[in-house]
Amino acid sequence: MYPPKRNLKIWPDDVYLVSFPKSGNTWTRFLIANLAHANETVGFENIHRLVPDPFVTWKRDFDRMSRPRIIKSHECFEPRYPRVMYIVRDPRDVVISQYHYHRKCNKIEDGYPMKTFVERFLAGQTCPHGSWGENVTTWLTSRHNDPRFLLLRYEDMVADPHREMTRVARFLGVPADGDRVAQAVERSAADRMRKLEKAQADKSSLTKDSRKELSFVRAAKSGGWRSELSEQFAGQIEAKWGHIMTFLGYALATRDAASAEPELASFMPSGPR
Amino acid sequence: MLKRAMVEAKRVLGLHSPGRNLAVFPDDTFLVSFPKSGNTWARFLIANLVRPEQKIDFSNVNSIIPGPEVTSNRALIRLPRPRIIKSHQYFDPRYPRVIYIARDPRDVVVSQYHFQRKRKLIVDDVPLPAFVDRFIAGQTCFYGSWGEHVASWLATRHGQPGFLLLRYEDMVADTPRELAKVVAFLNLDATPAQLVQAVERSSADTMRRLEKSQAQQFSSTKNTRQDIAFVRAAKAGGWRESLPEASVLQLEEAWGRWIQWLGYELLSAETARKLEVRAGQVPPDVLVGPRT
Repeated sequence: MYPPKRNLKIWPDDVYLVSFPKSGNTWTRFLIANLAHANETVGFENIHRLVPDPFVTWKRDFDRMSRPRIIKSHECFEPRYPRVMYIVRDPRDVVISQYHYHRKCNKIEDGYPMKTFVERFLAGQTCPHGSWGENVTTWLTSRHNDPRFLLLRYEDMVADPHREMTRVARFLGVPADGDRVAQAVERSAADRMRKLEKAQADKSSLTKDSRKELSFVRAAKSGGWRSELSEQFAGQIEAKWGHIMTFLGYALATRDAASAEPELASFMPSGPR
Repeated sequence: MLKRAMVEAKRVLGLHSPGRNLAVFPDDTFLVSFPKSGNTWARFLIANLVRPEQKIDFSNVNSIIPGPEVTSNRALIRLPRPRIIKSHQYFDPRYPRVIYIARDPRDVVVSQYHFQRKRKLIVDDVPLPAFVDRFIAGQTCFYGSWGEHVASWLATRHGQPGFLLLRYEDMVADTPRELAKVVAFLNLDATPAQLVQAVERSSADTMRRLEKSQAQQFSSTKNTRQDIAFVRAAKAGGWRESLPEASVLQLEEAWGRWIQWLGYELLSAETARKLEVRAGQVPPDVLVGPRT
């Protein structure tokens, strides 16, 4: 009755749902759980059992789980993961989401300077999973275009969850008929998740020991940074990770993608010799 | 059940080896490489440098620059700080300062082949080309493939403060020069004489002599075949004689971009030309994984 963490025994048919934190991982867990377990009512109280987290779910529950398992993770590149669905999200939105989440978790107080938070975010000091750029880079450089890897963008999922979930279903090899996908999307809608959160906040480690007046399911949209993030901070993020953002199709607002240093057009660091 | 109790007892007493679960301190420096890239030699060099009064050998090197896979958690925590820690781990965001040793994968695969024979992980008649297939797929050790390993560190940390890239080939060609980079990186007080002494005390001949008498005192040589040496060729470019051309081309096809980036010349003119053509294009080609 303890979480196995990194000592989890990995099976060759495991599939991992990986992302940097605050990139839509919980929403995707709901979507997948609703798709794979159409007969269960998926909520905050059972999500750790349906799409388990090795840092939360007990080892005993892992041992009893039916296979193939779909496992949640925020880790940087991990060669032992046999198959991976990786969700990326625009870091300009991620930083805002993480800021509010840290307020909710009492890690920072209200009014904590965004300037400081952005600096810590860029330095990879806001969570134990590397910086956004490190996390994304380690996965893309090692697994992109590999048949064992499915890249999802949070923004695409918001824009057309049905289409993206059909890709997920195909990757997982679960039935992808329209009704079934539509039902999963509906059951994982932001409004519904907000309702479930209200009713089950005390029953899930995701929400249990945090401020109840701040919602875990927040805006659930993309592009909020345009109104909430000052140009200075967006510029800092783009200066550091513009090359990755361009690769992922996120348009830069404060600099020209083409004029960003040419070597940043690739993930290759500027050469040593 | 008994095994499980033993594991738990060891954990409670701090006698387990933490591996990737190692507790990292902010003043730690990690000596990182893919296996068979000169890490043990670098440990000897650096340990001889930080302990000029003590001759480093296979019996004491792990107590000065320990490996978290073979050292107890208790010993790691008690080590005087700042610690220098050996590691073969792929990218770990927690490592604050990293000395990364890269080596030409065409040599690494040959070295790993012989090392795995020594450790009885493969039998003598496993053909080298078959081993190369598994090497490219990242199935010969627990640290990802060579390409994944190199990419995970270089694409994230190269050019950042707190990261020093060394090439094994440069260390072979001019050991004092490369060791001087380590001295500067670690901010050590080492006189030129101490530097020379460290290089001498870590020479391949010295290490071979020590290995003969101390094989049972070092984790990588303990209980292994004594007819195959751990300190083997200790040189660069051996692949030109020992690696079949088809295997060379396979490795270059898989990781040509990183091989070139590190300054190693490609044997295959065709792969080089392909990379040249793609040079103007964007990322997918520098990424490591197999293509769909």
